[in-house]
Amino acid sequence: MRAHAAEAGLDCVFVPLCVDGRNLNLSLEQAYGTRSDGRYLTQFENAAIVLPTDRRPPLAITEDGEGNEWLPEPRPANGRWGVAMAEALLGAGMERARIGVSGLRRGRVSHARATDGVVNHTAYAEVLRRLPDAILEDATDAVGFARFVKSEEEIACLRKGASIALAGIERMIETARPGLPSAELYAAVMERMLELGSAYYPLALFASPLGTPGPRFENPPPDLVLHEGDLITHETAAVWGGLIAQELQPILLGAIPEAWKPVVDLQREVFYAGLELMRPGTPLGELIDFVNGFGAKRGMRSLILMHGRGYGNDGPLLTPQDRGSPELRELRLQRGNAFVWKPIAYSADEQIEFSTGGSIVVTDMGGEQLVARELRLISSSPSVEREAR
Amino acid sequence: MSDPLPRRRSGGVYTQVWDGYSLAERDRRWNAVRAAAANAGFDCIFVPLGNGVDARYLTQFRASCVVLPADGHPAIVITDRGSRNTWLPEPRLTSRQWAEPVAEALLDAGFEHARIGVAGLQGGTFAHVSSPQGVVSHSPFAYVLSQLPNARFEDATDVLGRVRYLKSAEEIACLRRAAAIARAGLDAFLEHASAEPAVLQARMLGRMLRLGSEYFPQSLSVSDEQVRADINAVWGTQIAQVVRTVGADDRRAREAFELGLEHMKPGIPFAQLVHAMSAFGAEPRLQGLGAGDDGPLLPGADDLSFEANTAFVWKPVAGGVSFGEPVLITAQGAEPLGVS
Repeated sequence: MRAHAAEAGLDCVFVPLCVDGRNLNLSLEQAYGTRSDGRYLTQFENAAIVLPTDRRPPLAITEDGEGNEWLPEPRPANGRWGVAMAEALLGAGMERARIGVSGLRRGRVSHARATDGVVNHTAYAEVLRRLPDAILEDATDAVGFARFVKSEEEIACLRKGASIALAGIERMIETARPGLPSAELYAAVMERMLELGSAYYPLALFASPLGTPGPRFENPPPDLVLHEGDLITHETAAVWGGLIAQELQPILLGAIPEAWKPVVDLQREVFYAGLELMRPGTPLGELIDFVNGFGAKRGMRSLILMHGRGYGNDGPLLTPQDRGSPELRELRLQRGNAFVWKPIAYSADEQIEFSTGGSIVVTDMGGEQLVARELRLISSSPSVEREAR
Repeated sequence: MSDPLPRRRSGGVYTQVWDGYSLAERDRRWNAVRAAAANAGFDCIFVPLGNGVDARYLTQFRASCVVLPADGHPAIVITDRGSRNTWLPEPRLTSRQWAEPVAEALLDAGFEHARIGVAGLQGGTFAHVSSPQGVVSHSPFAYVLSQLPNARFEDATDVLGRVRYLKSAEEIACLRRAAAIARAGLDAFLEHASAEPAVLQARMLGRMLRLGSEYFPQSLSVSDEQVRADINAVWGTQIAQVVRTVGADDRRAREAFELGLEHMKPGIPFAQLVHAMSAFGAEPRLQGLGAGDDGPLLPGADDLSFEANTAFVWKPVAGGVSFGEPVLITAQGAEPLGVS
């Protein structure tokens, strides 16, 4: 990261105090992602850091100054983050420097949903006031591209998180039945993942009659009861070592209609075909076009859905609504990139939509699922066979 | 590539949150904030991006930005795509782009030369008490400043926070339910206190989630002999907290708790409670309860007096052990929301 920042002519990379995601009240990923750069560089839950590009030691700031193994003696903010950050920058000789600030706006591969950035205003305004001759500019990508390539330790954490998420899904399959309050289902899944050591990362749950869109819940749905024929879809995520892994497994409380089966098959095919293509060097544009054209060869439709995985609000975001900017399309996969991969398949008339998937890592051999599991639509009901492929 | 995109049938982006307060409650909140803003000389209260707690208080949306004119003109609310509720059936919608529509809202309301009270710019006495640097997101706020160079933006955290501090009957009902859920969490804590911390956390949260609580972080402190839990439950956005320690003799802390209740009556200064605790040999620990990061705090706010229809977690510490319960201040005095 220092090397990239130095190449860009920056004297330091500065991660300022960022807003508290829980208070921001935006999406789950944004909530977890607001302070992700600080976590990535310090292992503190909330920290600011000044990282000079000339390899002098970093200066970290935490609320109480309590240290950890990486940074035994951070500076305490004692509630005055603006002052503490300004003094750290001045102490590092940055009063006339070119300072790269991470989190001022959305990056290409981090803070991916935070169009307006994540930086706390009042503290940052104090820094601007105290360093009038410095040039502060956005450098979100300087940290983002370092985060984009995962180390073996980070991949191991994601793998563990994915296995916990899968355990949560298994609990969901055991528990889901018509007549059950959705809050019970929600609690059962969360309880399972927490007892396995995941940090709390809310289950995102949808439950509604097959073919009828329902709202998304990120807390126990009040007064909602499961019914025969409901399709339960969800994003089940677990956090281990600060990294977020996500797995998906739709569950139908009833028999799978014949019309759905070819769509489920198509989704499975495009999932695995996409993995084959995810080799280092592949431009994202090639992957987008491949996935978006895959279904047509089978008389149906398919679209890409893939997000970066890591410390929170990771990018890039490849969504059905976005065919990819030129800059994004030119971005090439690298060994150690991690994603949640969940392409969408549609019937020819687009009345049926199906998506499932989970966390994957890019290897020299292509994309690798972080937990081995088959992709399918689970049919779970006392009145029908347990599952269908 | 040129084919129209299929419409998404499942998934989607609209996140449903609890939004069960009545229209009368909306009007009570808005009118109270308007009156407080006018009294403070503000032309409007502005809740910018980053201040999700105050925004939810005023809109019942998960995420929004709010411009609430003090003179009774309609509120302008910008919220996530797909959001609508009974309070705001037709809000302005955005999709991850907040800066421009928010600046536009202030300009549309005619505030280019106004005195604008910003909620969340600093930590306050009644709200955002743990965020002395405030909660406002920089880039969209800087954009707003650039688009309204002749307006004056000043902190108004406590203008809105003071309104939040005084609870309505609907809010008190929600707080009671949150307290009951927290009590269920306490039962789980006492049943599983000897379990591994992750399992203990899971059992407590599992119990409360089953009862419909929204998530709020719990605090567990585990030492060789003691386990302390600060157990939080949420219903109707109201957060209730109970505090217990297993493995320690908490009789003195319970006595301090009971003694403190006698000093929590409308009109009694907080300082009197502090004095009583000092005489007893306990540390007063008091924090406002409500929609999140509420105040006032003891120690700290010694110059205030108790008022009816306010709520606190009262958790004195005696002999190094804490005992805490949610407490409602009524006209008659303090009402613990369920001690056992």
